[in-house]
Amino acid sequence: MHIMEGFLPLNWAVFWWVIALPCLVYGMYRLKLVLDADREALPLLGVTGGFIFILSSLKLPSVTGSCSHPTGTGLSAICFGPWITSVVCGIVLLFQALFLAHGGLSVLGANIVSMGIVGPLVGYAVYRTLRETRVNMFLTVFLACALADIFTYVTTSLELALAYPAQVGGVGSSFVLFMGIFAITQVPLAIVEGVVLALVFKYIVQLKPDILLRMKVFPEEKISAARGD
Amino acid sequence: MAGKYKLEILALIAVLVFCALFLYTSLVTGNGRFAGSDTLASEKIVELSGEPIGTIHPLIPQWVPPSAEIESGLFALQAAIGGLVIGLVFGYWIGQKKGTKNT
Repeated sequence: MHIMEGFLPLNWAVFWWVIALPCLVYGMYRLKLVLDADREALPLLGVTGGFIFILSSLKLPSVTGSCSHPTGTGLSAICFGPWITSVVCGIVLLFQALFLAHGGLSVLGANIVSMGIVGPLVGYAVYRTLRETRVNMFLTVFLACALADIFTYVTTSLELALAYPAQVGGVGSSFVLFMGIFAITQVPLAIVEGVVLALVFKYIVQLKPDILLRMKVFPEEKISAARGD
Repeated sequence: MAGKYKLEILALIAVLVFCALFLYTSLVTGNGRFAGSDTLASEKIVELSGEPIGTIHPLIPQWVPPSAEIESGLFALQAAIGGLVIGLVFGYWIGQKKGTKNT
Protein backbone atom coordinates (compact mmCIF):
# COMPACT_ATOMS: atom_id res chain seq x y z
CA MET A 1 0.00 0.00 0.00
CA HIS A 2 2.99 2.23 0.09
CA ILE A 3 3.10 5.35 -1.90
CA MET A 4 6.76 5.70 -2.83
CA GLU A 5 8.82 8.69 -1.74
CA GLY A 6 8.57 11.51 -4.26
CA PHE A 7 5.38 10.18 -5.82
CA LEU A 8 3.11 12.64 -4.05
CA PRO A 9 3.39 16.34 -4.84
CA LEU A 10 4.40 18.43 -1.83
CA ASN A 11 0.92 19.91 -1.25
CA TRP A 12 -0.70 16.47 -1.02
CA ALA A 13 2.12 15.11 1.15
CA VAL A 14 1.56 17.98 3.59
CA PHE A 15 -2.23 17.58 3.42
CA TRP A 16 -2.10 13.92 4.53
CA TRP A 17 0.46 14.71 7.24
CA VAL A 18 -1.94 17.33 8.63
CA ILE A 19 -4.65 14.66 8.91
CA ALA A 20 -2.31 11.99 10.29
CA LEU A 21 -0.57 14.00 13.03
CA PRO A 22 -3.57 14.76 15.30
CA CYS A 23 -4.63 11.10 15.04
CA LEU A 24 -1.16 9.98 16.14
CA VAL A 25 -1.13 12.40 19.07
CA TYR A 26 -4.61 11.29 20.17
CA GLY A 27 -3.54 7.66 19.73
CA MET A 28 -0.55 8.13 22.04
CA TYR A 29 -2.82 9.75 24.62
CA ARG A 30 -5.28 6.82 24.37
CA LEU A 31 -2.39 4.37 24.63
CA LYS A 32 -1.22 5.96 27.88
CA LEU A 33 -4.76 5.82 29.31
CA VAL A 34 -5.21 2.14 28.41
CA LEU A 35 -1.82 1.08 29.78
CA ASP A 36 -2.25 3.12 32.97
CA ALA A 37 -5.65 1.52 33.55
CA ASP A 38 -4.45 -2.06 33.09
CA ARG A 39 -0.83 -3.21 32.82
CA GLU A 40 -2.04 -6.57 31.48
CA ALA A 41 -3.10 -4.73 28.32
CA LEU A 42 0.58 -4.43 27.36
CA PRO A 43 1.06 -8.11 26.40
CA LEU A 44 -2.13 -7.95 24.31
CA LEU A 45 -0.74 -4.87 22.56
CA GLY A 46 2.43 -6.89 21.95
CA VAL A 47 0.48 -9.64 20.20
CA THR A 48 -1.73 -7.39 18.07
CA GLY A 49 1.21 -5.11 17.24
CA GLY A 50 3.46 -8.09 16.53
CA PHE A 51 1.06 -9.26 13.86
CA ILE A 52 1.17 -5.84 12.20
CA PHE A 53 4.98 -6.16 12.13
CA ILE A 54 4.90 -9.66 10.65
CA LEU A 55 2.05 -9.34 8.18
CA SER A 56 3.16 -5.99 6.78
CA SER A 57 6.60 -7.44 6.07
CA LEU A 58 5.24 -10.31 3.97
CA LYS A 59 4.96 -9.55 0.30
CA LEU A 60 2.57 -12.13 -1.07
CA PRO A 61 1.80 -13.01 -4.69
CA SER A 62 -1.75 -12.64 -5.92
CA VAL A 63 -3.88 -13.79 -8.85
CA THR A 64 -3.19 -10.59 -10.74
CA GLY A 65 0.46 -11.61 -11.17
CA SER A 66 1.68 -8.92 -8.81
CA CYS A 67 2.62 -8.86 -5.15
CA SER A 68 1.25 -6.93 -2.24
CA HIS A 69 1.23 -7.12 1.52
CA PRO A 70 -1.46 -7.67 4.09
CA THR A 71 -1.72 -5.06 6.85
CA GLY A 72 -2.59 -7.01 10.00
CA THR A 73 -4.29 -3.99 11.53
CA GLY A 74 -7.77 -5.44 12.15
CA LEU A 75 -6.95 -7.33 15.34
CA SER A 76 -5.40 -4.28 16.94
CA ALA A 77 -8.36 -2.12 15.88
CA ILE A 78 -10.76 -4.56 17.54
CA CYS A 79 -8.84 -4.78 20.82
CA PHE A 80 -7.53 -1.21 21.13
CA GLY A 81 -9.54 0.91 18.69
CA PRO A 82 -8.31 2.66 15.56
CA TRP A 83 -6.24 5.45 17.17
CA ILE A 84 -3.81 3.25 19.11
CA THR A 85 -3.51 1.15 15.95
CA SER A 86 -2.44 4.32 14.10
CA VAL A 87 0.51 4.69 16.48
CA VAL A 88 1.68 1.09 15.93
CA CYS A 89 1.33 1.52 12.16
CA GLY A 90 3.28 4.76 12.40
CA ILE A 91 6.19 2.86 13.96
CA VAL A 92 6.11 0.09 11.32
CA LEU A 93 5.83 2.56 8.45
CA LEU A 94 8.66 4.69 9.85
CA PHE A 95 10.88 1.57 10.01
CA GLN A 96 10.04 0.75 6.40
CA ALA A 97 10.58 4.34 5.24
CA LEU A 98 13.95 4.67 6.95
CA PHE A 99 15.50 1.26 6.29
CA LEU A 100 13.66 -0.31 3.36
CA ALA A 101 12.87 2.64 1.06
CA HIS A 102 9.24 1.48 1.13
CA GLY A 103 7.33 4.69 1.42
CA GLY A 104 9.26 7.69 2.64
CA LEU A 105 9.21 10.53 5.11
CA SER A 106 7.23 12.99 2.99
CA VAL A 107 4.60 10.38 2.05
CA LEU A 108 4.55 8.84 5.54
CA GLY A 109 1.49 10.93 6.41
CA ALA A 110 -0.45 9.56 3.45
CA ASN A 111 0.63 6.00 4.21
CA ILE A 112 -0.39 6.38 7.87
CA VAL A 113 -3.79 7.69 6.80
CA SER A 114 -4.43 4.64 4.60
CA MET A 115 -2.94 1.81 6.69
CA GLY A 116 -3.15 3.32 10.16
CA ILE A 117 -6.33 5.38 10.14
CA VAL A 118 -8.90 4.59 7.43
CA GLY A 119 -8.27 0.82 7.35
CA PRO A 120 -8.50 0.38 11.14
CA LEU A 121 -11.50 2.76 11.31
CA VAL A 122 -13.40 0.62 8.79
CA GLY A 123 -12.43 -2.56 10.65
CA TYR A 124 -13.48 -1.00 13.94
CA ALA A 125 -16.81 0.16 12.50
CA VAL A 126 -17.55 -3.35 11.22
CA TYR A 127 -16.65 -4.83 14.62
CA ARG A 128 -18.76 -2.32 16.57
CA THR A 129 -21.74 -2.93 14.30
CA LEU A 130 -21.58 -6.70 14.73
CA ARG A 131 -20.39 -6.93 18.36
CA GLU A 132 -23.81 -6.91 20.02
CA THR A 133 -25.56 -8.87 17.26
CA ARG A 134 -25.87 -12.62 17.04
CA VAL A 135 -23.17 -12.82 14.37
CA ASN A 136 -20.47 -15.31 15.33
CA MET A 137 -17.52 -13.69 17.14
CA PHE A 138 -14.86 -15.18 14.87
CA LEU A 139 -16.83 -14.20 11.76
CA THR A 140 -16.89 -10.65 13.14
CA VAL A 141 -13.09 -10.72 13.56
CA PHE A 142 -12.66 -12.15 10.06
CA LEU A 143 -14.82 -9.45 8.46
CA ALA A 144 -13.22 -6.62 10.43
CA CYS A 145 -9.68 -7.75 9.54
CA ALA A 146 -10.38 -8.45 5.86
CA LEU A 147 -12.18 -5.13 5.35
CA ALA A 148 -9.51 -3.15 7.23
CA ASP A 149 -7.02 -4.65 4.76
CA ILE A 150 -9.08 -3.90 1.63
CA PHE A 151 -9.96 -0.36 2.68
CA THR A 152 -6.30 0.46 3.29
CA TYR A 153 -5.76 -0.09 -0.41
CA VAL A 154 -8.96 1.70 -1.43
CA THR A 155 -7.61 4.71 0.46
CA THR A 156 -4.20 4.47 -1.21
CA SER A 157 -5.96 4.40 -4.58
CA LEU A 158 -7.95 7.48 -3.64
CA GLU A 159 -4.85 9.32 -2.40
CA LEU A 160 -3.07 8.65 -5.71
CA ALA A 161 -6.15 9.46 -7.79
CA LEU A 162 -6.54 12.84 -6.06
CA ALA A 163 -2.91 13.69 -6.77
CA TYR A 164 -2.96 12.32 -10.34
CA PRO A 165 -6.37 12.85 -11.94
CA ALA A 166 -6.57 11.38 -15.44
CA GLN A 167 -6.75 13.83 -18.33
CA VAL A 168 -9.97 12.20 -19.46
CA GLY A 169 -12.37 11.45 -16.63
CA GLY A 170 -10.41 13.17 -13.86
CA VAL A 171 -10.12 11.78 -10.35
CA GLY A 172 -12.87 9.19 -10.88
CA SER A 173 -11.26 7.40 -13.77
CA SER A 174 -7.76 7.38 -12.28
CA PHE A 175 -9.31 6.07 -9.03
CA VAL A 176 -10.68 3.14 -11.05
CA LEU A 177 -7.22 2.61 -12.58
CA PHE A 178 -5.46 2.53 -9.20
CA MET A 179 -8.20 0.35 -7.71
CA GLY A 180 -7.51 -2.08 -10.55
CA ILE A 181 -3.88 -2.28 -9.46
CA PHE A 182 -4.34 -2.34 -5.69
CA ALA A 183 -7.77 -3.57 -4.70
CA ILE A 184 -8.14 -6.62 -6.94
CA THR A 185 -4.66 -7.85 -6.00
CA GLN A 186 -5.64 -7.40 -2.38
CA VAL A 187 -8.85 -9.47 -2.27
CA PRO A 188 -7.26 -12.95 -1.84
CA LEU A 189 -4.69 -11.56 0.59
CA ALA A 190 -7.40 -9.94 2.68
CA ILE A 191 -9.34 -13.20 2.91
CA VAL A 192 -6.28 -15.15 4.08
CA GLU A 193 -5.40 -12.38 6.53
CA GLY A 194 -8.94 -12.39 7.94
CA VAL A 195 -8.96 -16.16 8.49
CA VAL A 196 -5.50 -16.20 10.06
CA LEU A 197 -6.26 -13.33 12.44
CA ALA A 198 -9.58 -14.93 13.43
CA LEU A 199 -7.57 -18.04 14.34
CA VAL A 200 -5.12 -15.94 16.37
CA PHE A 201 -8.09 -14.37 18.16
CA LYS A 202 -9.33 -17.85 19.02
CA TYR A 203 -6.04 -18.57 20.80
CA ILE A 204 -6.20 -15.27 22.69
CA VAL A 205 -9.73 -16.18 23.81
CA GLN A 206 -8.50 -19.57 25.01
CA LEU A 207 -5.41 -18.31 26.82
CA LYS A 208 -6.31 -14.92 28.20
CA PRO A 209 -10.08 -14.37 28.17
CA ASP A 210 -10.00 -12.17 31.30
CA ILE A 211 -8.15 -9.33 29.55
CA LEU A 212 -10.69 -9.37 26.70
CA LEU A 213 -13.49 -9.23 29.28
CA ARG A 214 -11.90 -6.41 31.27
CA MET A 215 -11.35 -4.37 28.11
CA LYS A 216 -14.92 -5.24 27.03
CA VAL A 217 -13.74 -6.41 23.61
CA PHE A 218 -16.71 -8.78 23.30
CA PRO A 219 -19.71 -9.47 25.59
CA GLU A 220 -19.13 -12.15 28.21
CA GLU A 221 -21.70 -14.57 26.74
CA LYS A 222 -19.89 -14.66 23.40
CA ILE A 223 -16.50 -15.29 24.95
CA SER A 224 -17.76 -18.04 27.27
CA ALA A 225 -19.68 -19.64 24.42
CA ALA A 226 -16.51 -19.70 22.29
CA ARG A 227 -14.57 -21.30 25.16
CA GLY A 228 -17.21 -23.99 25.44
CA ASP A 229 -18.19 -23.34 29.08
CA MET B 1 -13.52 -33.02 17.23
CA ALA B 2 -14.19 -31.46 13.84
CA GLY B 3 -16.13 -28.68 15.56
CA LYS B 4 -13.26 -27.93 17.89
CA TYR B 5 -10.76 -27.42 15.08
CA LYS B 6 -13.16 -25.82 12.59
CA LEU B 7 -11.22 -22.55 12.45
CA GLU B 8 -7.84 -24.30 12.07
CA ILE B 9 -9.20 -26.34 9.16
CA LEU B 10 -10.67 -23.24 7.52
CA ALA B 11 -7.35 -21.40 7.88
CA LEU B 12 -5.49 -24.34 6.37
CA ILE B 13 -7.90 -24.48 3.43
CA ALA B 14 -7.57 -20.72 2.86
CA VAL B 15 -3.76 -20.95 2.82
CA LEU B 16 -3.79 -23.99 0.50
CA VAL B 17 -6.20 -22.32 -1.94
CA PHE B 18 -4.00 -19.23 -1.84
CA CYS B 19 -0.92 -21.31 -2.74
CA ALA B 20 -2.84 -23.13 -5.48
CA LEU B 21 -3.90 -19.78 -6.98
CA PHE B 22 -0.27 -18.67 -6.96
CA LEU B 23 0.87 -21.85 -8.72
CA TYR B 24 -1.94 -21.49 -11.23
CA THR B 25 -1.04 -17.87 -12.02
CA SER B 26 2.67 -18.48 -12.29
CA LEU B 27 2.70 -21.86 -14.04
CA VAL B 28 -0.51 -22.13 -16.06
CA THR B 29 -1.32 -18.62 -17.18
CA GLY B 30 2.35 -17.58 -17.01
CA ASN B 31 1.51 -13.87 -17.19
CA GLY B 32 2.76 -12.90 -13.76
CA ARG B 33 6.03 -11.14 -13.19
CA PHE B 34 5.01 -10.65 -9.53
CA ALA B 35 6.30 -7.12 -9.18
CA GLY B 36 5.03 -5.18 -6.19
CA SER B 37 1.69 -3.42 -6.66
CA ASP B 38 3.55 -0.34 -5.37
CA THR B 39 5.84 -0.55 -8.39
CA LEU B 40 2.92 -1.03 -10.79
CA ALA B 41 1.20 2.02 -9.31
CA SER B 42 4.37 4.06 -9.70
CA GLU B 43 4.49 3.08 -13.37
CA LYS B 44 0.86 4.12 -13.71
CA ILE B 45 1.71 7.50 -12.18
CA VAL B 46 4.48 8.01 -14.70
CA GLU B 47 1.92 7.23 -17.41
CA LEU B 48 -0.73 9.57 -15.98
CA SER B 49 1.54 12.51 -15.22
CA GLY B 50 3.46 12.15 -18.46
CA GLU B 51 6.73 12.75 -16.62
CA PRO B 52 9.57 10.34 -17.28
CA ILE B 53 10.54 8.21 -14.28
CA GLY B 54 13.94 9.91 -14.05
CA THR B 55 12.37 13.25 -13.15
CA ILE B 56 10.62 11.94 -10.06
CA HIS B 57 12.94 12.49 -7.11
CA PRO B 58 12.36 11.90 -3.41
CA LEU B 59 11.20 15.09 -1.70
CA ILE B 60 13.20 14.05 1.34
CA PRO B 61 16.48 12.24 0.59
CA GLN B 62 16.27 8.63 1.71
CA TRP B 63 18.54 5.66 2.23
CA VAL B 64 17.87 2.83 -0.20
CA PRO B 65 19.02 -0.72 0.58
CA PRO B 66 21.97 -1.30 -1.77
CA SER B 67 20.81 -4.75 -2.86
CA ALA B 68 17.83 -7.11 -2.78
CA GLU B 69 19.69 -9.28 -0.24
CA ILE B 70 19.99 -6.45 2.24
CA GLU B 71 16.38 -5.43 1.66
CA SER B 72 15.07 -8.95 2.26
CA GLY B 73 17.29 -9.21 5.34
CA LEU B 74 15.75 -6.08 6.82
CA PHE B 75 12.24 -7.33 6.01
CA ALA B 76 13.09 -10.59 7.78
CA LEU B 77 14.31 -8.56 10.74
CA GLN B 78 10.97 -6.74 10.89
CA ALA B 79 9.07 -10.03 10.86
CA ALA B 80 11.44 -11.51 13.44
CA ILE B 81 10.77 -8.64 15.85
CA GLY B 82 7.03 -9.26 15.54
CA GLY B 83 7.45 -13.01 15.93
CA LEU B 84 9.63 -12.66 19.03
CA VAL B 85 7.12 -10.43 20.78
CA ILE B 86 4.17 -12.70 19.91
CA GLY B 87 6.04 -15.80 21.09
CA LEU B 88 7.04 -14.07 24.31
CA VAL B 89 3.48 -13.01 25.12
CA PHE B 90 1.84 -16.35 24.31
CA GLY B 91 4.47 -18.05 26.45
CA TYR B 92 3.80 -15.58 29.26
CA TRP B 93 0.05 -16.26 29.06
CA ILE B 94 0.51 -20.03 29.01
CA GLY B 95 2.77 -19.72 32.06
CA GLN B 96 0.22 -17.54 33.85
CA LYS B 97 -2.54 -20.02 33.13
CA LYS B 98 -0.46 -22.91 34.50
CA GLY B 99 0.46 -20.87 37.55
CA THR B 100 -3.16 -20.14 38.46
CA LYS B 101 -4.10 -23.80 37.95
CA ASN B 102 -1.42 -25.04 40.35
CA THR B 103 -2.24 -22.72 43.24
